[in-house]
Amino acid sequence: MATSVYLSNPNVTINSVVLQDQCRSATLNYVYEQLETTSFGDTARKFGGSSVTSLQNNSIELELYQSYAASETEATIYGLVGIQTTIILAPATGAASATNPIYTLTGAYLESHTPINASLGELSTITLTFTGGTLTKAVS
Amino acid sequence: MANYLVTSARLAGYSPGDVVSDADLEGSNIDALIEAGHISTQTPKKPAKPKDIETEE
Repeated sequence: MATSVYLSNPNVTINSVVLQDQCRSATLNYVYEQLETTSFGDTARKFGGSSVTSLQNNSIELELYQSYAASETEATIYGLVGIQTTIILAPATGAASATNPIYTLTGAYLESHTPINASLGELSTITLTFTGGTLTKAVS
Repeated sequence: MANYLVTSARLAGYSPGDVVSDADLEGSNIDALIEAGHISTQTPKKPAKPKDIETEE
């Protein structure tokens, strides 16, 4: 049984900046909006179809450790709020392959950021949700 | 086409001191990269030519 366990080096690149060593979780949602194509005569609901193309509605959620040091998390993320950028995620670093697909979300929008998320005695983390954009998958 | 000096070790595929163009950073927000200190608009300066020193005898 083949499964994926993320224990080592997933690739997490935000706006061309490698932040994998600050990232503790990543979720990529690949979505095409559901369009109903049910018509008279149908006996069940139908969605989509070979000639119906809906809009992508993708999103990426990342949880990062916060760091205020130079060129680290806060410096990289703060300027991205309210604009579009490109996010790259892959199961591992290295070249794209069938077993290491590289997903690129181009034109992703970051609506909000929490510069301070502090609790006594705990490492500070931030959760970012990038929405929109076009997703591509490279396997070579 | 503008060139930028890489100033942090976090820019994907580049090292500090490398020069990148805006074409290399396509899809990324360059203003945010500059603001974050990953790149600079300052391109590397060429080393000054050594001046010839004439000695009088």
